[in-house]
Amino acid sequence: MARPVHPHAMAASRPGRTRTAPPQAASGWYAQPRMLRYLLFDATGILYLIAGFGVLRALWALGSGEEAWQAFLDRLHSPLYLAFHALALVCVVFVAVRFFRLFPKAQPAHIGPAKPPPQPVILAGLYAAWIGVTLVVSLILAGWIF
Amino acid sequence: MSEQKKTFVVTRFDPDRDPAPRQQTYEVPVQPDWKVLDALNYIKDEIDGTLSHRWSCRMAVCGSCGMMVNGKPSLTCKDSLADYGSRVEVAPLSNFPIVRDLVVELEGFLEKLKAVKPFILKEKERALAEGTHRQSPEQLEEFRQFSYCINCMLCYAACPVVANEPEFLGPAAIALGHRYNMDSRDEGQHERNEIFRGEGTVFSCSYANECSEVCPKHVDPAAAINQAKFNAVIDWLAGFVTSRGGK
Repeated sequence: MARPVHPHAMAASRPGRTRTAPPQAASGWYAQPRMLRYLLFDATGILYLIAGFGVLRALWALGSGEEAWQAFLDRLHSPLYLAFHALALVCVVFVAVRFFRLFPKAQPAHIGPAKPPPQPVILAGLYAAWIGVTLVVSLILAGWIF
Repeated sequence: MSEQKKTFVVTRFDPDRDPAPRQQTYEVPVQPDWKVLDALNYIKDEIDGTLSHRWSCRMAVCGSCGMMVNGKPSLTCKDSLADYGSRVEVAPLSNFPIVRDLVVELEGFLEKLKAVKPFILKEKERALAEGTHRQSPEQLEEFRQFSYCINCMLCYAACPVVANEPEFLGPAAIALGHRYNMDSRDEGQHERNEIFRGEGTVFSCSYANECSEVCPKHVDPAAAINQAKFNAVIDWLAGFVTSRGGK
């Protein structure tokens, strides 16, 4: 894997008096658990891109008549599609948990005179909203509401 | 106390002789209570006097002895050797030009620190007769955490954005700028927010959170940067409704 450090990273605007060696990356940087987690987080974007094309494909099938739409729905039951969607679900949960962990501390100290609630309260609110939305969507899909 | 031998693989670089950094191995008899810095000092004093490394206070205050230990940014006077196996790899901080052995070039970092105007800015100096600046404990609490930075630069070695964008101001500098923006005595928020809205500043941060993971003083620069993003946007919006006229 290519070394990820820009040759001018942290360089001074004017060269110093002595020769320096270019900046280096830590050996095995990509295998470090902390970097691996971040790379996995970034890599989930590829899945969302593919899922986005899937939505466009669904719209295309919908606009092409009932037969095309039924064929598209049938294809969704193939093991490949099921595996992809299972993987996408795992990725979405991973990204959501990471986002929830980092969101509270990114809040400003105050907006005018108003202060945000304590971080555990924000975190609990995020999880409550997540569970609530999941519940509502599940009920809609099950046909219990609407 | 019983001695144990550990193998240290240390990065060496002599700008007058070496075309590129190389590694050198040392066998060090270590004591159970030693920190990583103790082993480096042993190498320097007893095995190889040509080894160059920075250190000063030995109590995690001066921020001089930051290095990569087994690939992780570490304050070597704070990290216990007992936490490492029999092979310890010590390298200069990642993402910095190397001056010699474990010593990195600081000039670029100092330029970035200077760029955020890390001092109290006042539109008009307060007259002595007006007395001291008063600050409540609540006002202090808004920036206290961000004032604990010791400029050890571990956050720069951990940051994936610093590695790829040379113009990025970086975690410690932005956290320091944010610290002054949150200080009730300061009046330079707009000036610094203009800097923060520029290229290679707060909006370059992808919130990897690596800087906060490695910070030995729990400053949480990632929180500072992301709070600074919000404040920079609010400051920009405020320009449309105040006399600044969108500036």
